[in-house]
Amino acid sequence: MALLLRTLGRQSVCLAKPQYSVLYRHVAPMGSTAKEEMNKFWDKNSRLNRPMSPHITIYKWSVPMMMSITHRGTGVGLSGAISAFAVAALVLPGSYPYYLDLIHSLSIGPFLTGLAKFGIAFPVSYHTYNGIRHLGWDMGKGFKIPEVYRTGYTVIGLSVITSIALLMI
Amino acid sequence: MAAVIRLSSVCRRGIKPLFYQSTLLVRPLAVPHKHQEQPYLLTARIHSSQNLQASSNSKAASLHWTAERMLSVLLLAMGPVAYFNPGPVIDYSLAAALTLHGHWGLGQVLTDYVHGDTKIKMANAALFLLSTITFTGLCYFNYNDVGICKAVALLWSK
Repeated sequence: MALLLRTLGRQSVCLAKPQYSVLYRHVAPMGSTAKEEMNKFWDKNSRLNRPMSPHITIYKWSVPMMMSITHRGTGVGLSGAISAFAVAALVLPGSYPYYLDLIHSLSIGPFLTGLAKFGIAFPVSYHTYNGIRHLGWDMGKGFKIPEVYRTGYTVIGLSVITSIALLMI
Repeated sequence: MAAVIRLSSVCRRGIKPLFYQSTLLVRPLAVPHKHQEQPYLLTARIHSSQNLQASSNSKAASLHWTAERMLSVLLLAMGPVAYFNPGPVIDYSLAAALTLHGHWGLGQVLTDYVHGDTKIKMANAALFLLSTITFTGLCYFNYNDVGICKAVALLWSK
């Protein structure tokens, strides 16, 4: 029965039409949620002390893969930076302009200042543009592989351009 | 069942001989009961996602997903507002939106990589503490110092 449904689905047969309801008239749903199933997987495998199969170490990296983990990386990094800033605000005695002047007095030089600004601007830009790309996916758009690559390269290009533009102002 | 016969006509690529064997096995049997009027079909267990609410009728996860996306859109809109209309209102709104977006985002990261009931609970507690401290710090900064918008402007003017 499952084989039948899978085969028909693979042929892009619309199973929702009334004439196909005969195929699942007598099906019964599983009694557990996805979360429960996932927990069972982890419980069993960690109990048996099984090693994890190689995955990211052996699978060929692709641009979409790298962009996805970069999105996560920039997100975690930016979150960490915001939290660090918040803790500093609570802990450090002086005011913000005081510390800015302190850094300014160190005469870091334009190149390193530019680098630092790029280090802030790029993660923000990339995460924002790729976030918009994600929202497109959430609306069901842009899933075809050429579209994934096209939007992906657009995000990278826009991020670089925006970051450099932000450096200039 | 008639569907099995339909299977062979529908499939253009051709089925391996093995499949024929298994479909014959899968064909529901008309169970021979002496006084049965109608043969009944054996049921199959299929993961039917629509009926999953039979075990848990909670829409919590789905609503959380939607809330995450709505917050993302809101945060996106706050960018231009912060640039053109800086001030305390947008400062506190940004503090809240940024903290919550980060909290939910890190929550997803934890869900992906942390496994085991105790570890999950501890990680989520630590995250909650971090987010609380972050929001407190940002509000403190907004109240006692120049505020988020002014801070970004000052930083960039250097």
